[in-house]
Amino acid sequence: MIISSSKPFEEILENLDDPGKIFVLGCGVCATKLHVGGEPEVEAMCRKLRNAGKEVIGGGVAKAACNIKSKESLLENDPAIERADTIIVMSCGSGISVVSSLVDVPVHPATNTNSLGGYSEGHVRKDLCAMCGSCIADFFGGVCPTARCPKGLMNGPCGGAMQGKCEVDPDRDCAWELIYLRLKEIGRLDLLERIFEPKEYNG
Amino acid sequence: MSLKTNVTYYPAMPSAFKEKLLSDEFIVTSEISPPKGVDVSSVFEEAGLVRDYVDAFNVTDNQRAVMRMSPLAMGHLLKERGLDVIMQFTCRDRNRLALQSDLLGAYAMGMENVCIMSGDYPTKGDNPGAKPVYDLDSVQLLGAMNQLEGGYDIAGNPLESAPSFTKGAVCNTEPDQPLQLMKLEKKAHMGIDFFQTQAVYDIGHFETFMEGISHMEVPVLAGLIPLKSAHMARFMNEKIPGIRVGDELIARMESSTDPAEEGLLICAEQIRELKKVCRGIHLMPIGHYRHITALFEMAGLHEKH
Ligand code: SF4
Ligand code: SF4
Repeated sequence: MIISSSKPFEEILENLDDPGKIFVLGCGVCATKLHVGGEPEVEAMCRKLRNAGKEVIGGGVAKAACNIKSKESLLENDPAIERADTIIVMSCGSGISVVSSLVDVPVHPATNTNSLGGYSEGHVRKDLCAMCGSCIADFFGGVCPTARCPKGLMNGPCGGAMQGKCEVDPDRDCAWELIYLRLKEIGRLDLLERIFEPKEYNG
Repeated sequence: MSLKTNVTYYPAMPSAFKEKLLSDEFIVTSEISPPKGVDVSSVFEEAGLVRDYVDAFNVTDNQRAVMRMSPLAMGHLLKERGLDVIMQFTCRDRNRLALQSDLLGAYAMGMENVCIMSGDYPTKGDNPGAKPVYDLDSVQLLGAMNQLEGGYDIAGNPLESAPSFTKGAVCNTEPDQPLQLMKLEKKAHMGIDFFQTQAVYDIGHFETFMEGISHMEVPVLAGLIPLKSAHMARFMNEKIPGIRVGDELIARMESSTDPAEEGLLICAEQIRELKKVCRGIHLMPIGHYRHITALFEMAGLHEKH
């Protein structure tokens, strides 16, 4: 199971800059068991957002957020997702990354993903989430550089990328190329200007 | 001098390099690699050949992830011989503890010129199984250096005495690469004294790049690698990110009876043009030092010392 914990509500709110219509998506696997992204938590999140004056158009729990295969299967959870301007995902970092790759609106995490709690039941996507414990994947359009850039570079690419491919493995896209395309798609290239402090490794 | 914290401590003669950056003198730096071993005599010999033309030697740090003597040690040995050095410093091999302590050590030994970079991934080099570190990226490392200069370590603990660096970073020169430009902006924002570029072959292209970054007001040293053959040019085009040798130059190399000489001639022409475009050059001769004095003379760069 992937161990995630809820982000403080204030932090979530802070990162919602003019969110428009919000949809909240939980996850039926680890996040449900840990009570950070099951039905009750999704409902509570919708309520809190509404109380904070935000427009929430729905909430739902995906069977396994890390394993949604296509936009169609995402919409099966609730067709309202199509109309959302912002999606808040209450799952581990893999789920945030997967949902980001399926939609063209900003996706924000409501959880921090800390570790792999012993066993994974196949629900681990270390290639998408390195379980750093402090999720900021939304600043990178859901393409987490900690997990997806071999150098974990948070402030932009190294000079080694060639034609958008990674210096370390030319069969793989440079994570920063993906970040750029994704931020462009959601109209948030301004996020590229932000300077990120070093990650803390003391848990 | 007070014994309190935050005093800037000058252990050695202050480097002339920063002053030169602030002047309008055309600057020449040259890359030099420490030995893969303990005998530094060949490095001294190479450096000796061109020392009169060069403002500072840029000592590489396990370049291309090939393990060699530490630039900290090699830089110190060159410094002892009266040569000014710029220590290259990658994020690949050290965590933030080691980065900071080596920076303090470098400064204490009189090496305040530091050029930082992410560093090629270990699998590119000769110890491919090495654990990659990248605890800080280059922007964060500049932040750490600022913090040290301000009298604190990166975690906020006070230092007993503080360094003062001349900070450089590397960059590609493709004007149409928004991500590279964005990173450049971040480095400039952190406060930087010079940029050193990837090898430049197309001066027109480079001028466009320079116009695009003119608002940053950071002195730029254009990277130069003299061509040795048409094959080398094609190889670099294919394998080295950020390098573009144009067809015209490749044709010139191809039709020449003495390609190595032609390569130096091209390089000399480029230096003459670059004098109008940027603050200096950074030469990366590949096993080539013997011909470099001739190159400098051809380019109208005469002995400085
Ligand atoms: S920032 Fe990256 S590694 Fe950390 S929890 Fe989010 S997706 Fe996972
Ligand atoms: S090429 Fe891109 S993904 Fe690969 S190490 Fe460099 S920045 Fe990271």
